[in-house]
Amino acid sequence: MLKYFFILFSLLIIVSPLEARVYLDINAPTFVQIPIVLTKWKSVDRTPPSLSEKVYEILANDLTLSGFFKVIDVHHLPPSLQEREGIPNTSSLPEWISAGGEILLSGEALLESDGLNFKLKFHLFDLVEQKHIVGKQYEGPLPVLRSVVHRIADEIILQITGEKGVHNTKIAYSVLQGSGKEIFIADFDGANIRQLTRNQSINLSPAWSPDGKKIAFTSYLKRNTDLYMIDVDGKNLQRFLSYPGLNVSPSWSPDGKQIALMLGMQGKSDIFLIDTNGGNPRRLTKGHGNEASPTWSPDGESIAFVSDRSGSPQIYIMARDGSNVRRLTYEGSYNTNPSWSPKGDRIAFCGRAEGRFHIFTIGRDGSGLRRMTSNSGNNENPWWSPDGRYIAFSSTRTGVSKIFIMNANGFNQRGLTPSKGGESGPAWSRRFE
Amino acid sequence: MTKKSLIITIVILCAGLIMTGCPKKTVVKEEPSIKKEEAVKAERGPISREKESKAKEGLEKSLVAKKEPGIEGVVFESSLLKDIHFDFDKFDIRPGDAAILKGNAELLKKYPNVKIQIEGHCDERGTVEYNLALGERRANSSKNYLISLGLSAGRISTISYGKERPLDPGHNEEAWTKNRRAHTIITAK
Repeated sequence: MLKYFFILFSLLIIVSPLEARVYLDINAPTFVQIPIVLTKWKSVDRTPPSLSEKVYEILANDLTLSGFFKVIDVHHLPPSLQEREGIPNTSSLPEWISAGGEILLSGEALLESDGLNFKLKFHLFDLVEQKHIVGKQYEGPLPVLRSVVHRIADEIILQITGEKGVHNTKIAYSVLQGSGKEIFIADFDGANIRQLTRNQSINLSPAWSPDGKKIAFTSYLKRNTDLYMIDVDGKNLQRFLSYPGLNVSPSWSPDGKQIALMLGMQGKSDIFLIDTNGGNPRRLTKGHGNEASPTWSPDGESIAFVSDRSGSPQIYIMARDGSNVRRLTYEGSYNTNPSWSPKGDRIAFCGRAEGRFHIFTIGRDGSGLRRMTSNSGNNENPWWSPDGRYIAFSSTRTGVSKIFIMNANGFNQRGLTPSKGGESGPAWSRRFE
Repeated sequence: MTKKSLIITIVILCAGLIMTGCPKKTVVKEEPSIKKEEAVKAERGPISREKESKAKEGLEKSLVAKKEPGIEGVVFESSLLKDIHFDFDKFDIRPGDAAILKGNAELLKKYPNVKIQIEGHCDERGTVEYNLALGERRANSSKNYLISLGLSAGRISTISYGKERPLDPGHNEEAWTKNRRAHTIITAK
């Protein structure tokens, strides 16, 4: 099924020599959003305008959600430019300067005569340099339209920032229902919300398998905190680990060969490594503390985790064999839930400050502590996007607990879905392409 | 919604069952959907043949069957098995709570066939996973203390609910104090 989804081709039409230019260094602690003009998309031949409008809407939303752009859509263009549709000639670019953007995105959509397949074409222009940047064409069956538009958004982000976006990723989380919690997944843009479990139990702390095909989570179905796996389509629920006590918080090693997790078989929570078939548990944490929430460094050499061995929960880092333990956090008396950035340089965690919980990031050497949330409410469970440019977390700032996403510099914080709350424990998938 | 409103509770008055180990069937009505708390009087079992201690009668009479949606099995709660409580982010047994566990142990020693599960619970502050670890430790602290008082380890299982099952849904110190607890249920009679 997945394969079918990605049988669509992208045809490189023109790539200008400027391709390699990076317009926006999003790794800087602060950056100014680039103003991008989105011209009206053209409906080619007898293509219904609703198709172009849908593409336009998804694309404008994607670019806004990315946090990298200030989107200037047709409603914010001078009247003379509002109805100009399709792809402009380079010679006509000076006419677009009055739109106020630095980049211009234009495109057209075609619905094939069979009514089942589409073609999309976009061109990106630099309005400051008055140059063409890139143009590409995509085609596929209508059910994959949304995913293809996300690919276009990712491509534009690649051109502007030097790295592809994450619009074709998903987020798993748990939602309070009755006395229990069920596992849900949603796309990066909050679309396609799906409920995976319907067992009325407490299902929590989801994590994606490295191939993106399964979600692991902890459930109380058998009156023990066992680890389960379920396919992303909600099928094949399997009890994966059922050691006595906790079986919680799996983190796959970057090479996919081992899983670090919390096991309670020793009478308290410790960090263990297991093989991916669930066997051969090796205890990594010695001593008497409560150990929780392991997260691998992207080079596979180290694991960050929580320990209260000092008297209060703090973030520690150890080598993959449990040696060389060092404490990472010293500020605050309650630091939990570390998540290691896929870029490797920073670790996000949940810390208590002024009586509330906030998201922080810190360098892997303990330097450069930054607080990312400052509003009212509690902010917990940070989880990096696969490109390390966003952090998902849960927040009670609206009065109920909801999943939020922000850029890694703390800007552009937004709720994932328009839900009523009760959400916790976000986990980000790999890219699906 | 409160926990109570979600748990289908059926009061079982089944005197004589435990002390004699007689095979009289315990009927537990299981509701298929989540409903308001419901107390159903089951048939009273035959009057005990032998006079047992008052404490024993008390335990049997106090048993309340509990079936939680999405969690396997019917278990029993007794008001005679008391909860103990913990300080914030702590799992050590406080002196007053040690006395409570002694009371629980004395009672359980009279019923060698009874198996229990100790649930470790936390208040809502802090993250899901760290609270699961803390609840695990609270349950095991209680278990270890009962073992030190002479109960066999094989009779006691533990489970951590972290902050997932607060007794009091409030968001204040009073609620948090109630919610940091170890609660004992009976998994086999």
